[in-house]
Amino acid sequence: MSGQRVDAKVVMLGKEYVGKTSLVERYVHNRFLVGPYQNTIGAAFVAKVMSVGGRTVTLGIWDTAGSERYEAMSRIYYRGARAAIVCYDLTDSSSFERAKFWVTELQNFEENCRIYLCGTKSDLLEEDRKKRGIDFHDVQDYADEIKAELFETSSKTGQSVDQLFQKVAEDYVQLMAFQVMTEDEGVDLSQKHSTYFYSCCHH
Amino acid sequence: MSLKSERRGIHVDQSELLCKKGCGYYGNPAWQGFCSKCWREEYHKARQKQIQDDWELAERLQREEEEAYASSQSTQGAQSLTFSKFEEKKTNEKTRKVTTVKKFFSASSRTGAKKAAQERNLKQGQLGRERNADNILRDLKEIFTPSWELASPTEGNTAQLGELSACSTEIHEAKAPSPSINRQVSIETDRASKEFIEFLKTCHKSGQDIYKQCKIFLEAMHHKRELNIEEQSEYAQDFYQNVAEKLQTRSKVSPEKVEKAMDQIEKYIMTRLYKYVFCPETTDDEKKDLVVQKRIRALHWVTPQMLCVPVNEEIPEVSDMVVKAITDIIEMDSKRVPRDKLACITQCSKHIFNAIKITKNEPASADDFLPTLIYIVLKGNPPRLQSNIQYITRFCNPSRLMTGEDGYYFTNLCCAVAFIEKLDAQSLNLSQEDFDRYMSGQTSPKKQESENWSSDVCLGVKQMYKNLDLLSQLNERQERIVSEAKKLERDLIDWTDGITKEVQDIVEKYPLEIKPKNQPLAAIDSENVENDKLPPPLQPQVYAG
Repeated sequence: MSGQRVDAKVVMLGKEYVGKTSLVERYVHNRFLVGPYQNTIGAAFVAKVMSVGGRTVTLGIWDTAGSERYEAMSRIYYRGARAAIVCYDLTDSSSFERAKFWVTELQNFEENCRIYLCGTKSDLLEEDRKKRGIDFHDVQDYADEIKAELFETSSKTGQSVDQLFQKVAEDYVQLMAFQVMTEDEGVDLSQKHSTYFYSCCHH
Repeated sequence: MSLKSERRGIHVDQSELLCKKGCGYYGNPAWQGFCSKCWREEYHKARQKQIQDDWELAERLQREEEEAYASSQSTQGAQSLTFSKFEEKKTNEKTRKVTTVKKFFSASSRTGAKKAAQERNLKQGQLGRERNADNILRDLKEIFTPSWELASPTEGNTAQLGELSACSTEIHEAKAPSPSINRQVSIETDRASKEFIEFLKTCHKSGQDIYKQCKIFLEAMHHKRELNIEEQSEYAQDFYQNVAEKLQTRSKVSPEKVEKAMDQIEKYIMTRLYKYVFCPETTDDEKKDLVVQKRIRALHWVTPQMLCVPVNEEIPEVSDMVVKAITDIIEMDSKRVPRDKLACITQCSKHIFNAIKITKNEPASADDFLPTLIYIVLKGNPPRLQSNIQYITRFCNPSRLMTGEDGYYFTNLCCAVAFIEKLDAQSLNLSQEDFDRYMSGQTSPKKQESENWSSDVCLGVKQMYKNLDLLSQLNERQERIVSEAKKLERDLIDWTDGITKEVQDIVEKYPLEIKPKNQPLAAIDSENVENDKLPPPLQPQVYAG
């Protein structure tokens, strides 16, 4: 049985066929579409150990089904997530509309979850500029508005993929360090209480 | 493009999902409609009081234990309270004999259970123990043994590591064969205790502490049995958190070791609590189980194609994987520890991944995995599905459930069940008419597609279905022939009748009259009767010209 410790849950959201799975595959196994696939049986869940400033962090990356028939259940997936990578296809404006939908959901129901916007298939744009389905500046404005990081990645060439996940891990470590500082008091209280409770029964 | 019109699947009114307190967050039926924050606030006070009560109770128990221990030290104190259910039954059987004998000696007017308990004590103390100690022990036993199968409450105050091993040998002895239904359960409980104690021995100093905490927790849980299951769950979750924190901060145990210890603790306490907190009567879990089960049965007609399952069961390896996955998900119900149940789900998921990988020749994504899991659940119809999900949610160590791989697969299972519960025509890309017809059992999509039977159906079954098909066709034809024959018969009768009637009509209309044979001749002859009335025939005349 798989018992790997996972520090943070990172959930991948996005419309079908925007390339969520490819992005994870690219990042974790550094490959695109072509094999060798023997090592993994599935790319739906991946635990990736990363190092940030000398600390190791394990990200549990959750792939989600993008089909609309499962949309109603998506909230079950991102519950408790520390970060969400909301993907859209740079060549498909409808996928960005869907991305906005998820962003709204996350903002409403998972306020502790950091949002990362990720435009995929940027290699297609390099081939043909006209293919861009949605203006970069519009997205940048939107990202600023929702306080999200924006990345344009290509799972084919690997462009910005590592940076994206590295940023996710860094932000998480930073947030944790901050939380430890601010939450110390709360932790102490509960501990005092339990100490009191347990020690009373032994004498 | 409008998003709204595009969305399909399950829609619930937003307001139904929100927290009852109106804070804007989503509520959860498991928290009585509150969101997690409001729920915590709401029950914080109640819990504080409960904790206080528990503390007092624990203290009282401790005092009583000490007294009991002091007064029974001369006899074999530590051994006497090791009661597991089956042992109790066994002694009950034995004491029945003793009872009759005892009646001669004591004029006790106590009622059944108390008497039995007391006599058990007397017997245990070989009838020679002081009455005072007996009473205390009896009280203790009534608190502990019938329900919680605690290892041995009296050795709590002297719980040294040495005692732990003594305890484990006791447990071993308790395994003595006994013709009881509870035997299997008890053996499992005993094994769990034994393993736990073995494990604690490797923990050196902190082991003793862990053991004490677990015991206190189990006792407290016993007194919470009448409470709402959610409060029990909350209490268990707090316990997990406290123990883990304590290990990490106070005993300076490495995170990996804490994880390991937590697994062992979970196994130990949940093996014991299982009977009381799995599908408890205070909840409607059982009802929900039945609803889901019925629902899955009603959906027996759903094909892999409708769900877009990327698994080709005609490949023998794949169908093998599918069967294994179904076995795993069904097996989940037989496990007692939440983590073991999770392991079953994970195992099932791994088989699904393999099945997809063999079919598609590439690793599965979530888009492949979820539909296949739904299909497996539909095919397997695992017993007590909702109860199991609820139990895991309530009593699994949360750190594992929220983030890790097991958590991922568990979340998918929850999704699959939610999908099945709310599944409608749209989510299968069917027309409402088709969906209704399939649901009512009027037709089955399988009938139309009998040519592409999945490969896990054996040849005989395939042949059988083909024959059934032929038979039903034959039947249809025969019925047609019979009805045609009847119609023909009717037609014949009608025809005969019709002809008869027609003939009669004609006969009536044109009755047959036979006139005298000579009359017409005479008439002809008499035509010249009135010849005499005719003017005289013209005579030729000669004119002089």
